[in-house]
Amino acid sequence: MIRLSLIGFLRSLTRHKLYSALNIGGLAVGIAVFLVLGLYVRFETSYEKWIPGANNVWEVETNMVGSVFDGRFLEQTPVAAWSAINRDLPGTVGTRIQEIQATVIQHGIGVRENFAMVDPDFFRVFPLPVLDGKVDGILSDPTQIVVTQRVAMKYFRTASPIGKSITLSYDGAQHAYKIAAVIADMPPNTDFDFDLIGRFVITEDKTNPLYVSQHQWDYGGGQTFIRTMNDEAAARLSSELPGVVTRHAAGETPNNDGFKIALRLQRLTDLHFEAPGSKLMVTTLGIVGVLTLLLAIVNYVNLASARAGLRAREVAMRKVLGASRQALVRHYLIEAVATAAVAAVLGLATAEAGLPLVNAAGGLTLSIRYVGADGVLLPLALLVLVAGILAGAYPALMLSRFPAAAVLASARSPGGGRTGTRVREVLVIFQFAVAIAFLVGTMVLVAQTMHARSTDIGFNRSNLLVVSSLTNSNLTDSQRDSLLHRMAGLPGVMSVAASNTVPGGGMVTSSSNFPIPGMSGPGPSIQYFEATPGYFSTVGVRLLAGRLFDLAHPGDLNPNVLQGHGPGDSLPANVVLNESAARALHYPSPEAAIGKTFGKDSPRTVIGVVADMRYQSLRVPVPPMLFTFVERDPKYENGVIRFTGDPKAMLNAVQEAWREEAPEVPFEANTAQQALDVYYKRDDHTARLFSIGAVLAVLIGCVGLWGLASFNTARRVKEIGIRKTLGASSTDVVKLLVGQFLRPVLIANIFAWPLAYVAMSKWLAGFDDRIALSPLYFIAATLLALTIALVTVIAQSLRAARATPAWALRHE
Amino acid sequence: MIQLEAIQRRYISDEVETTALSDINLKVAEGEFVAIMGPSGCGKSTLLNTLGTVDRPSSGRYMFAGRDLANLDEGALAQFRAETLGFVFQSFNLIDELTIQENVELGLAYRRSGGGDRKARVAAAMDRVGISHRARHFPHQLSGGQQQRAAIARAIVGEPKLILADEPTGNLDTENGQQVMDILTSLNAEGATIVMVTHSPSHADIARRRIDMLDGRIVSSVARAI
Repeated sequence: MIRLSLIGFLRSLTRHKLYSALNIGGLAVGIAVFLVLGLYVRFETSYEKWIPGANNVWEVETNMVGSVFDGRFLEQTPVAAWSAINRDLPGTVGTRIQEIQATVIQHGIGVRENFAMVDPDFFRVFPLPVLDGKVDGILSDPTQIVVTQRVAMKYFRTASPIGKSITLSYDGAQHAYKIAAVIADMPPNTDFDFDLIGRFVITEDKTNPLYVSQHQWDYGGGQTFIRTMNDEAAARLSSELPGVVTRHAAGETPNNDGFKIALRLQRLTDLHFEAPGSKLMVTTLGIVGVLTLLLAIVNYVNLASARAGLRAREVAMRKVLGASRQALVRHYLIEAVATAAVAAVLGLATAEAGLPLVNAAGGLTLSIRYVGADGVLLPLALLVLVAGILAGAYPALMLSRFPAAAVLASARSPGGGRTGTRVREVLVIFQFAVAIAFLVGTMVLVAQTMHARSTDIGFNRSNLLVVSSLTNSNLTDSQRDSLLHRMAGLPGVMSVAASNTVPGGGMVTSSSNFPIPGMSGPGPSIQYFEATPGYFSTVGVRLLAGRLFDLAHPGDLNPNVLQGHGPGDSLPANVVLNESAARALHYPSPEAAIGKTFGKDSPRTVIGVVADMRYQSLRVPVPPMLFTFVERDPKYENGVIRFTGDPKAMLNAVQEAWREEAPEVPFEANTAQQALDVYYKRDDHTARLFSIGAVLAVLIGCVGLWGLASFNTARRVKEIGIRKTLGASSTDVVKLLVGQFLRPVLIANIFAWPLAYVAMSKWLAGFDDRIALSPLYFIAATLLALTIALVTVIAQSLRAARATPAWALRHE
Repeated sequence: MIQLEAIQRRYISDEVETTALSDINLKVAEGEFVAIMGPSGCGKSTLLNTLGTVDRPSSGRYMFAGRDLANLDEGALAQFRAETLGFVFQSFNLIDELTIQENVELGLAYRRSGGGDRKARVAAAMDRVGISHRARHFPHQLSGGQQQRAAIARAIVGEPKLILADEPTGNLDTENGQQVMDILTSLNAEGATIVMVTHSPSHADIARRRIDMLDGRIVSSVARAI
């Protein structure tokens, strides 16, 4: 019986080519989109799960209570935190990871590598795959280092450089190491990005400049990770953390009254989605994949049930021959599953062929594995079964219900009745509701990403270069001065300046609470930065009130720095605030802030207020910032260059100058736009992937609509002949036929608009700087959907309307 | 073998009630060849569909070989049809996607009981009606007469107790129609019970008994003198 079912199915594919192409093609596209987006979701949710026992690894996160970051748990923990946990809770297995950029000097040229400084138990927390050598106990020796296979091949041209020496330059000094082991390169699904692992050395020498930052709790460090036996052990450890903080934090943080900190554990495998909006992005694309597949299944249901009448005689004969209803349902389900199977093969081929485009659009490296733990064949087989049954259930039930006697007696094939027509209309409404919601979503996503590129971010992002390698501690003061001087003299350069805050990052974040005169409490937390002469004009910041720093005003220079103290120390200083800081300090307007002094123990007088400079993601609010004036801060300054002409040529010129002055220090620079792109990239990729999915979903909807229109129009030819005989014009007939399909598209908006509104409101709420959710997007999407539907059905309607009545009346 | 008692069939749609069969009482003996005649709309096909359990009467009793079919559910009726009946229609009703051989095989496909060597039975049925040489062709590749012969092969492949033919020659020319009637006659001679609806008086004369219907009732039932 199954054999005959499959034989009949295969032959019907060639007999009804168009219908088969529409059905299988639509299902194939749906499966391809589902497959690709499924791969994406699987990839994004697989971060760090490749680490053995990853579920029992926890990151210690920090909330700086009362600071500008209050309420957010950050991944940076004080270095002192793990020291305290280790002391108070012996036996806890954990490690810090302090990532720095070290330089490997090869043939006189410096190459930057990411170096992770870790504690001795690192490989107990992270049992990374070892390719050569041994990692047990090696980190007890601070002269030993572990490298990845990439580094081994790059510098030693061998996968086994055990015992060989490598010298790293960082913190202004050279450090020699012996290679003790080689580990596998980090896989794509990890946020860890280092190729060298060495011992994190804690200094007990109080004269060492690193001592304070390693022992006080108000200094951020790297990350801290702990491995537990299970969730219960993690819960117990978590309950101990407040005690550790109480016993150590305040006492180990002198000169910071009222300092408060909280620690919590966050599971390693949940970290990838901590970035704002990241989980929503992945969920959204997953939903797009599922809905697109659903649309394809709805297409099948619609087309199969519309054409069911054509098979009524066959059904009646099968019943006459003794087929029970169950046998018939089984027969048509087998057909549906067979259709899904053919579509799955095509869909797999389409996904494979389309993957390079998707990878390019989404900034991904997805690939399809067929067998194994990550293999798609088994899940695809299951999908074929589920999709086939879902798609075939209604048509099978409908077909099996045809009354044999009535069908055999009738000259005309049944149309499924009013119920059938209504069901199909509901399905078209569902398809277009989803399609219109997708169209709205696509427009909003694209508009938001375009907004990111063009919105006022408080400074002029064009023709601005950021030279981040100026922060490299291996540069000498004279090299730094020489470089700044040379860059200023390059053709096309208008001005050069430096700061520890620049577009795209470079933010070494220090913050303090500044009490407001006349108000109790510690006051708002404000981040403070240094700016060198010409910084604001070079960056192109908008001045809102007062003036900017000027060397002609000697009082502008920060006396704390002039006298060799930290920039935030207690001597009074002139400052420039950003808008957010002025608001946080309760000044009613930027103008009202000018000349005012705030901060009890570190008095700061406002000489100017500038617009908020959005140096990072549009998702994160611009924090309150204040700037003090320095001639040069050698430790943290990034260079900024305002120029005219071609950015590429300018970059090359700066790089050339760098290579001549400091070849042993790796050069790193990019345009401000490139630096900001790092934050926009993810949203760009999401918008592109969403658009691809949306366009294909709309295409599937159109394919189904075209098939339905074709079928329905053919069934109505005789009716059209009668109407024309009675006096209907071709226009009347076209209106009748087209209206039949535009009605469900219009009704679809009742569902699409609220769905799209809720979804897009939630999406946009993740951005601090966002577009308004204008009704124009909804209207445009509706008009577009109507146009697409019209274009899809008009040709057939026109053809049917132009048929001569006599021919139409003879048509059966 | 067959006994219909007070069979009624009414169709109710919206505000209209149509009586297709009214108070039908009919007996058909095993091995009989019965022809049913009457004008269009008199209920001939409805009566045939009732005999074939493709349509359920609104009231009355249908006994087949002493078994009351009213008690059977849909599944049981389907099995009854598969095991007991064979159908031949005016418009052949072959399945276009299957070859002639496969169409004939479909006559055994829904039987639950084992049927011995299916292939052999199919071959024998095709042979019986002279259609073996077209076994691998599709219906649209055959003439009307050949298609009807294939439909007869499908009807007889399971050796049914009763063959129901609804205007089997209605779409055929005289020569092909005669060939079909010859096959039915020979099947009856071998003991098959046949009930046939026909518009053709000459074909009705081949049957042993002729029943005339009008407005849903049997108005006469005349056995042919042998």
